Amino acid sequence: MIVAERKPLAEIRGFVDDYRRILILGCGTCATVCLAGGEAEVKVVAAGLRISFLRDEKEVEILEDCVTRQCEPEFVADLPRKVQDEGVGAVVSLGCGVGVNFLAQTLETVPVFPGVNTEFFGAAVEPGVWLEMCAGCGNCILHLTGGICPIARCSKSILNGPCGGSRDGKCEINPEVECGWALIVERMKKLGTLDRLAEILPPRDWSTSHHGGPRKVIHPEAAPAAIGQGKAEQ
Amino acid sequence: MKSGSNLERVLRAGHFAVTVEIGPPMDCNASVVTEKARMLRGIADAFNITDNQTAVVRMSSIASCVLIMEEGLEPVMQMTCRDRNRLAIQSDILGACALGIRNCLCIAGDHQSFGAAGRLKGHPGAKNVYDVDSIQLVSILEGLRDKGCQQGGDPVEMRPPLLIGAAWTPLGDPIEIRPLRLKKKVEAGADFIQTQGVYDVARFAHQMELVRNMGLHERTAILAGIIVPRSLAMLKYMNSSVAGVSVPDSLMDRMAEAKESAGKDKKQARRNQEEEGARIAVELIQQAREVPGVKGVHIQAIEWEGSVPEIVDTAGLLPRPTFPQEGEGDDFDGEDPGS
Amino acid sequence: MSGNRLAQEQQPVYAPCTAACPVHTDTRQLVEFIVEGRYEDALELLLEANPFSSVCGRICHHPCEQSCRRSKVDAPVGLMRLKRFVVEAMRDYRLSRRTAGGPPQKREKVAVIGSGPAGLTAAGDLAREGFRPVVFERSATPGGLLGNAIPRYRLPYAVVKEDIDDILARGVELRTAVTVGQDLLLEDLFAEGFAAVLIATGLSESRTLAIPGIDSRGVLLALPFLRTVLSSQPPAVGRRVVVIGGGNVAVDVARTARRLGAEKVTMVCLESREEMPAWSWEVEETEEEGVQIMPSWGPRSVFGEDGELKGLELRRCTAVFDSDGRFSPRFDENDTATIVADNLIIAIGQRGNLTCLRGSGVETDGPDRIRWDPGTLATSREGVFACGEVATGPGSAVEAVFDGHRAAKAIVHYLETDELLEQPPMELPHIGEIPDEVAEKVPVLSPVAAEVLSPEDRVRDFSEIERGFTEAEALAEARRCLACTTGALVDEERCAGCLTCVRICPFGVATVEQTAAMPQEECMACGLCAAQCPAAAIALKRFGTNQMREMVQPVVMELKKRAGAEAAVIVSYCCLFEITGRDFIRRAQEEYPPRGIVPVLVPCVARLSVADLLSPFEVGADGLVVIGCSEGSCLYPTAEQRVMERIRRAKGVLAEIGLESERIDYWRTERSAEASWTAFWELSQRKLSRIRSASEERRR
Repeated sequence: MIVAERKPLAEIRGFVDDYRRILILGCGTCATVCLAGGEAEVKVVAAGLRISFLRDEKEVEILEDCVTRQCEPEFVADLPRKVQDEGVGAVVSLGCGVGVNFLAQTLETVPVFPGVNTEFFGAAVEPGVWLEMCAGCGNCILHLTGGICPIARCSKSILNGPCGGSRDGKCEINPEVECGWALIVERMKKLGTLDRLAEILPPRDWSTSHHGGPRKVIHPEAAPAAIGQGKAEQ
Repeated sequence: MKSGSNLERVLRAGHFAVTVEIGPPMDCNASVVTEKARMLRGIADAFNITDNQTAVVRMSSIASCVLIMEEGLEPVMQMTCRDRNRLAIQSDILGACALGIRNCLCIAGDHQSFGAAGRLKGHPGAKNVYDVDSIQLVSILEGLRDKGCQQGGDPVEMRPPLLIGAAWTPLGDPIEIRPLRLKKKVEAGADFIQTQGVYDVARFAHQMELVRNMGLHERTAILAGIIVPRSLAMLKYMNSSVAGVSVPDSLMDRMAEAKESAGKDKKQARRNQEEEGARIAVELIQQAREVPGVKGVHIQAIEWEGSVPEIVDTAGLLPRPTFPQEGEGDDFDGEDPGS
Repeated sequence: MSGNRLAQEQQPVYAPCTAACPVHTDTRQLVEFIVEGRYEDALELLLEANPFSSVCGRICHHPCEQSCRRSKVDAPVGLMRLKRFVVEAMRDYRLSRRTAGGPPQKREKVAVIGSGPAGLTAAGDLAREGFRPVVFERSATPGGLLGNAIPRYRLPYAVVKEDIDDILARGVELRTAVTVGQDLLLEDLFAEGFAAVLIATGLSESRTLAIPGIDSRGVLLALPFLRTVLSSQPPAVGRRVVVIGGGNVAVDVARTARRLGAEKVTMVCLESREEMPAWSWEVEETEEEGVQIMPSWGPRSVFGEDGELKGLELRRCTAVFDSDGRFSPRFDENDTATIVADNLIIAIGQRGNLTCLRGSGVETDGPDRIRWDPGTLATSREGVFACGEVATGPGSAVEAVFDGHRAAKAIVHYLETDELLEQPPMELPHIGEIPDEVAEKVPVLSPVAAEVLSPEDRVRDFSEIERGFTEAEALAEARRCLACTTGALVDEERCAGCLTCVRICPFGVATVEQTAAMPQEECMACGLCAAQCPAAAIALKRFGTNQMREMVQPVVMELKKRAGAEAAVIVSYCCLFEITGRDFIRRAQEEYPPRGIVPVLVPCVARLSVADLLSPFEVGADGLVVIGCSEGSCLYPTAEQRVMERIRRAKGVLAEIGLESERIDYWRTERSAEASWTAFWELSQRKLSRIRSASEERRR
């Protein structure tokens, strides 16, 4: 899941200072699950902004809404009309960065501001605690590392770890951070495959990651029309 | 000869090698490096120049290497994976060799968050690179030198004659992976190894036994790391906060005694601790030398390089061996590294 | 823009107390009204279901309590006593609403024979439907057994009269001391213009025993005995009284005999102690009053001297029922006992009196039961209906009320359509018992005991033995209600399946498969999940989380307008359950707003979301005071911790926008609301004035 964290209200307030009708738009999927931008947080942000504007004696209308996902055309299809009908001057998206991008392209003339900081792809390891577990690098090597990702979970993303900074299972950067490679070693020990770590993993091809430029995935069944286009781009 | 470096010659000749670390300044003052070089001339076979050590911006390793070479010292250029991608690494290596640098230590490098420590702000907000890791870096250098091939596959006409080094943390966690990881470095092409500072010689010896059983000591030259302790506080800090370093209580007690024997005289306490620290360093060198498979020592006296000559001397490692200078052409002949 | 997308509620499911009540009194809602201090609404609810609410608040066999789900945790909620509290507290209100007057009397007359709970309930309903019911009562006093037999220590006549007068006030005509079948015939009623007749004469006669010596002097029958006791000349009883029978009437008789001065009262019954048909709590009280019980004995013969009772011979009863459960007592004739007695009172059951049918042609079922159709309540003669015990056989008062309601419906339908209405038995679907693993997580709250006279004091006279709940007691008891069926409802469209509810549910009830689910049977309706749900996808029937803004906005804005800049305006969310009297909160809600404090009562402050905590500020309030329940008294595990976390978050939000986080205060009630809240408000207000002036200064 994409994990995000709400931005400080003062920062959000700074974005929308000049607008008089502001829509706070939550996202009902990842941002809701990670407690950063669901319907309830929309209410909190809306309340915070109202209080803030009220204090400054500014008459501002704060509207609230939440869509199932901000990153799908169908779920935001009604938005441009609604925004126009309601005279919305600016939108604060509590969706992840994807949502903000998508809304920005959907709402051509209305500014969309980010209400959350998009953090990472992670898991809820305990209630209210999320941990980064995938870096979305486009070429999964988890089969080589016991299912634990050295790219996402090692501070240095090294493929032939652990480095000398591993200590009691923690990373040198912070005793709160688990050493990804200590986890890998532990896991492969349990699997009885520790010897496979003897193999040197060569420098990897990062072109599958963002380093290769913005990426696109085309599913042939779902998007037959896009196949040619995809090939053309390759 | 792979590189024709002095360090390589010392090791080939079977001498117990000595390397010493030099930290470049945080500005462009060449004389700082030059002075350290003059002070240390003749007391070691080669001198490591750190590469933005602890993620603090310092004069570049290449430049500092050139500065000490001008003083007649042989440098070991340190190269981290943190600050350069494979393009920058390879171009710097080629440049370094062109400037006459013959030894390179390949390390991952401390995380950029380390730079913010004590009074230093560092650059904790920096984007790190880690395009390759230290083992891959070793293999890239090995490819340049032995296969005449860049990492991407393009040919290298004049191959860089380098003695390739790597670091090893024998007592790092998880401890069971450490000999294996050393093996990977050796297989990637590490000619010599400089270890993390060793205080617990008994545990180090145990790890060395595993290494010997794997035959790694025959395939690479392992230089035991000696970090000269300057104070009780430093020992305590390293014991608690530096990964892979554990300081036995006996050493801690000795240092504490040295400190306390000075009473309330702070200056005397410092002197006592420095003297005790130097003694400990000498003893560690001697003990490390007794561990089978250890081919030398790598001495780090962080911001206290002045203590090193006496330590090396007291340890009985002076004078350092010398070899008749060979022709330039031989040095740059990377075509046949086996010769 | 977002509408209410609450999941469609499935078929309504009722709380077991409501389902168990013969008239389906919405007891759950009743308790909620009480907790909220809405006693008037509570009374309306009661009277709507049961015009004999005063009576049933005292003598009901309260199946509601027997089915209360709280029994699994500790003990049932004292619902009967709560009803009594409402009726007693609302006596004046009840009188005032009575004067409103009934609807115009313009339709047909209906004769109701018998003024017990069945007949009067039917008459009351008929009057409300606009008919003109006339109730014929044989005795001088209406009420059937309630008015003429049940001893006053259980049911003071004033209580019965309260209910009856209420019904009569709807436009019911009562004719007492008229015996239909004797003074006038059924035929005469039709001739007089009655469009229908309802027979509701109950079981007014006692059965007797066919054993030797039963006609001795000193042998009495239960109902005549009890009737006499209620008359102006109570009978004298001997020193030693034996009562035959193990039912509730026998118990009444035995306890009455004690009160009349009998020193040694013995109840003899065929049933074993466990099988005795009297309510167990009544049997216990009877024993406390010194009545000796001899279970598993049956009378063989009465012996006497010169026709004067001296005692009776007993034989051991080995079984009361046969294998099919039919009454078929077996005796061990070798195991006998003798018991001396000055009086023997027979209380082995009642039978109907069908005098009213004389010459009517209405078919009967044996000598004392009427033949009737249990679905339509019709008898063999058109226009004549029957209800209550005379038709159904022995039952309780509330069952008679239920039958009275049915009879009224049957007659209304008949008169309006000329057809019979089939009313099949109806059982309300209700939620099942609490699973063990949930019940063990529910904090134990011992029931509030109503004050009861000591047994020694009780037997001195016919004073009512139990004092009703005080208001504080009633409120304390009411908070024990688990509010069955008011649990969490998930809007499945909004639910993101995030598991927050699962993680915070203190009872381990919430689950998530595709979306969250809180099974009604398990949900303890604490509302913690609703306030925490990031999708705002959970609602509770009883309280709307995230709706505080709408609630406080008008009050706060009004106050801001009135108070100008002087006084700080503070909203105070308070735990509803800590109040011991509604007057306090009513007074507070009147007196405090002009001083800048707006008290808002919520059923547990843990139902408030962070947005709810911010709402007062959104509408212009200067501060917020949250008052939770007193330490350790919270109904829901972890609730306080959750409130504190949310308050911390709300304070964080204030800080983020540059407001002082000290504008939110949290207090725990100390002792009671009355004892502590006003002090909290004043402290917080003083603090807030300081914050306000400091902040004003900074802004300048």
